Amino acid sequence: MLITPALAPAAKARTHGAPGFAILALAALAFLTGCSGGTSQSVSTAVKDSSSAVATARIALRQDMDGKLTRAAASTTLDDELKEVQTSRSTVLKLSPASQEDRDLQKQALDVLDQCAAGFATARAALATNDGGTPSLSDGDKALAGAQDALKQLEDKVGSK
Amino acid sequence: MKRLLGVALGILTAIGGFVDIGDLVTNAVVGSRFGLSLVWVVVVGVVGIILFANMSGRVAAVSGRATFEVIRERLGPRAGLANLTASFLINLMTVTAEIGGVALALQLASSVYYLLWIPVAAVAVWLVIWRVRFSIMENVTGLLGLTLVIFAVALFLMKPDWGSLAGQLAPAIPEQETVWTYSYYAIALFGAAMTPYEVFFFSSGAVEEGWSVKDLAQSRINVLVGFPLGGLLSISIAACAAVVLLPAGISVTSLSQVILPVAEGAGKLGLAFVLVGIVAATFGAALETTLSSGYTLAQFFGWSWGKFRRPAEAARFHLSMIVCLLVGIAVLATGVDPVLVTEYSVVFSAIALPLTYLPILIVANDPQYMREHVNGRAVNVLGMVYLVIILVASIAAIPLMIVTGAGS
Repeated sequence: MLITPALAPAAKARTHGAPGFAILALAALAFLTGCSGGTSQSVSTAVKDSSSAVATARIALRQDMDGKLTRAAASTTLDDELKEVQTSRSTVLKLSPASQEDRDLQKQALDVLDQCAAGFATARAALATNDGGTPSLSDGDKALAGAQDALKQLEDKVGSK
Repeated sequence: MKRLLGVALGILTAIGGFVDIGDLVTNAVVGSRFGLSLVWVVVVGVVGIILFANMSGRVAAVSGRATFEVIRERLGPRAGLANLTASFLINLMTVTAEIGGVALALQLASSVYYLLWIPVAAVAVWLVIWRVRFSIMENVTGLLGLTLVIFAVALFLMKPDWGSLAGQLAPAIPEQETVWTYSYYAIALFGAAMTPYEVFFFSSGAVEEGWSVKDLAQSRINVLVGFPLGGLLSISIAACAAVVLLPAGISVTSLSQVILPVAEGAGKLGLAFVLVGIVAATFGAALETTLSSGYTLAQFFGWSWGKFRRPAEAARFHLSMIVCLLVGIAVLATGVDPVLVTEYSVVFSAIALPLTYLPILIVANDPQYMREHVNGRAVNVLGMVYLVIILVASIAAIPLMIVTGAGS
């Protein structure tokens, strides 16, 4: 064995109680990273995430219309982004606003996020339609564009606070 | 001629095998949020991995034994255990993320839900490890991974404003981001480039392929040429995201977003290339991380190990890898987002870096193992500089994770 004698005690000191500390640290980390600010901050994050999701879906739809994206990739992208919007909606839904102003903000955010979800429903239906019927891909894009505008207005409102 | 072909093949597989799910996701996330302002971190990370992979390969070639085995013997079981615990847990997270990555890429190709692909991917990993020769496994996945060069091709096809792109190269914090998120993602990028499994796999692979001192030159060329070119692949992923996703206000949270810039620039053909590349890169990395888990466990406990042995002669080595794959499947079956696992794995990699790289530096300086091939002065100076960087990244990672809410 080539262990340097001086190294062994140091190594011993380092490893004592390590598993317990690690579990505690991970639990604290999970708790702390899960913590967030008040209603407006949570709404702001939800709106930003949803804006990103809607913008992604619009790019995927456009690429599909231009023949650049396969149907499988486009529908997977839409599914992923819908999940993102649903996560944001769930976060906003679980908020416990303390003031009337925060309650109004929560309601407005939920309305906008529902509009996003409806936009996604139209876009997904358009992707699933192969016979040239309705809704068309441009209908889906219009629905998402409307949701994007509503998100932008809400983002401006939350940002101005 | 045969030697030249061997060198070329080594370089190509080093490039193709450089990118894994951590590099794909982290570079795309960073490109979509920070543009190219964190490219310097990729450069620092690539130099670091070159330095330590080369050191680790040299230890294996000179001593004829894998780095982890030597660390266990040279520093004793306690230091070895600390090293094992850190690297093995990160490895397990990375195995999980890579299998998830394969499944997500297959979903993009087929629209079949990714959870259904997970057992398929895991069984395929196990079958390849069980049946396929080491060199074939390495070369096929590495060469197919080269198709990721489509990110660079798509970038050129999009004809971006090169001046504006070059202007983003200066380290700067975008208006909508904070110094904390910038630092957090700098550490994530660094962790993605310097993932511990890479060095353990590199040195164990050297033993698998029977390297000796006379193979040192070729190994050095593979690392010195292949890794920087692999780093350019990483940068082109970030650049694609910076050109297409950043202006649209998109923050990357899924693999489906990572491929959109390629489709934008190179259409369906580009999409086919990128999907093959992602499957190859993640599948190759799943093989490497699974093997790396088996290597570290077997080398610590002194079990018989290696693909050069028949599975019956290295039963515990193979069993431990099967268990790791089952753990990965079980974690993914809970429905946890593989991209989230990836994001956490690269940050936890950064946290564990000192436990991985300090022992390598010590062993590479031990003349009892390395004889006249111990580190030179310049390598040691650079190694010490990197240890400081690694230590700072490791210490800062958790506080930054808390302050930024994991970069959100």
